[in-house]
Amino acid sequence: MVYKAVIAYDEKELRTYLKKMLAEVWPQLEICGEAANGKETLKMIDTVAPHIAFLDIKMPGISGLEVAKNIAGICRIVFITAFDQYAVEAFEREAVDYLVKPVTKERLLQTVNRLKKQLQSSPEPPVDLAEMIKQLLTSLQSNANAGLRYLQWIKTQHKENVRLISVEEVDYFQAGDKYTLVITAEGESLIKKSIKELSQELDPQKFWQIHRGTIVNVSKIETIGRSLTGRGILKLKNRTDALTVSRQYLHLFKQM
Amino acid sequence: MRRNNIMEQQYETEFIFKYWLKFKNILIDGIIIGVANTLFALAATIIGPFKNFLPNFILAHSLGITVSLVILFSILIFGPRTWKFFLLITGIDICLGLFIGLQIGFIILRYFFNIVLNWQTQNLGPQAMIAGIFASAAILYFLITKIRLRYRNEMIEREKIKRMAVEKESILANLRMLQAQIEPHFLFNTLSNILSLIDIRPEKGKSMLLDLTKYLRTSLSRTMPEKTTLSQEISMIESYLNIQKIRMNERLNYKIDVSNNIRQHSFPPMLLQPLVENAVKHGLEPKVDGGEIVIKVTEENNLLKIEVADTGLGFSDFDKSGVGIANVRERLGLLFGEKGRLIIEENKPHGVRAIIEVPINGL
Repeated sequence: MVYKAVIAYDEKELRTYLKKMLAEVWPQLEICGEAANGKETLKMIDTVAPHIAFLDIKMPGISGLEVAKNIAGICRIVFITAFDQYAVEAFEREAVDYLVKPVTKERLLQTVNRLKKQLQSSPEPPVDLAEMIKQLLTSLQSNANAGLRYLQWIKTQHKENVRLISVEEVDYFQAGDKYTLVITAEGESLIKKSIKELSQELDPQKFWQIHRGTIVNVSKIETIGRSLTGRGILKLKNRTDALTVSRQYLHLFKQM
Repeated sequence: MRRNNIMEQQYETEFIFKYWLKFKNILIDGIIIGVANTLFALAATIIGPFKNFLPNFILAHSLGITVSLVILFSILIFGPRTWKFFLLITGIDICLGLFIGLQIGFIILRYFFNIVLNWQTQNLGPQAMIAGIFASAAILYFLITKIRLRYRNEMIEREKIKRMAVEKESILANLRMLQAQIEPHFLFNTLSNILSLIDIRPEKGKSMLLDLTKYLRTSLSRTMPEKTTLSQEISMIESYLNIQKIRMNERLNYKIDVSNNIRQHSFPPMLLQPLVENAVKHGLEPKVDGGEIVIKVTEENNLLKIEVADTGLGFSDFDKSGVGIANVRERLGLLFGEKGRLIIEENKPHGVRAIIEVPINGL
């Protein structure tokens, strides 16, 4: 039986190279299609129904992993990935076939032999592959999002351009009538996000709400004093204006 | 300068607050004042009108303790915000304290020791008041100097901590710089491309290897904190883009627009490169059609303005770019303070434009 395969790889040179190596280690394998991005790959797999798909993880548009999710029941999958500790660990854990760039002939031969064995025992792809891919996706995605759960950038209007301000630059946020005022060393700008939304999206380690209408960047705090009425008065670095800490938020400064 | 002064005083007031809130401090100062009172009573016994130690002892203590408390509270309430105001208020308070303290002393003597004394007895009132004022001045001086000394020590400590923080920051920045230099992902991708090109198109593989060598050489020489020129930086970026161009083919186009004059400026490493890498990684690479990167450096009003514009995905993929850009901002801050700026804005109709502005005389 002649097995069919597709190669989905966004880098043309590497695609050619992989094809050439495959021809050496598995001459009977018929490469019936090549694709450079996720969309093309899905379409191709739909039309040629291959036994095996070699998928580059990082493709523009729809990523290799997303493609895999869609074709998991249709064909066997070999992932191709560049050096990436997490991905490799995830592949090992889920027992998914993978190749690490640069692909060597020895490694490819190993994979090919395993594929051959699997195909001989059952030409259909394993049923649980879809589940495995799903697991893989969630574990990889949770990893990618680990450090980025919190708001990093704030979009503001600057003249006719939209600008991104890193939250680290912000001195404090102050609630206005309809908008929220973002105060940085460079000046002030308005955003539509409310203080309440911001308090949920910002890293609570780095940003403290100190008043119903104020969230302050902790790293910008210089000193805290106390007013006669028992509220806190914050001085920020390089700023002359003082911020009031209402009593319900004073506990934040207990350890200072 | 003026603002600093106010902040300083604010901080000083807080410090005094904290200082007096510690029981140990109050105890130590209390003992010192007690000893001083006793010595004062001894002196009064020797030179004063009463040769009896007991009334002198009681009076000295009631005076000393009252006045100390008065000084303590006026420091706490008014703080050394403006010294003239503080001294005026404290002066009034001391006189009041002396009056009350002496009166308390009389009452104690009458009720507990059956010694009847009053203001008229042998001109005691005025004499005690005058002696008391000097004693109070001594106490005031003692307390204030002590606090100031403590405060100064703390300021020195604080300064030390600040300096250590700056040092740590620069070490960390250097470390991150090293780590950021050669990304394993990039290296392995490039190597695997070269490997595949050697067989199929050896000429192209060779040129890619040359570019990688150039890139690595510049990268690795960065372990020394030497000054680099903009020209070196640009040539490194050219080799980086050449490598990426082979990988991405027609999906990546680039243009570098820098005049020869400007290229001669010295320029710190690791400022421009992360922006270009960011444009490739988060702008063009994830975009199916790819796009173009334009690097432009201009000089205006003693400012060097470096612009990296791409026509990629725009802000949508930008959230993932965390560390590289954060590093650039941090380094700009360390190197140029407020004069170094990083602006990130929309590149119309699509993509991102990152602009670095640095003062030329600061380079």
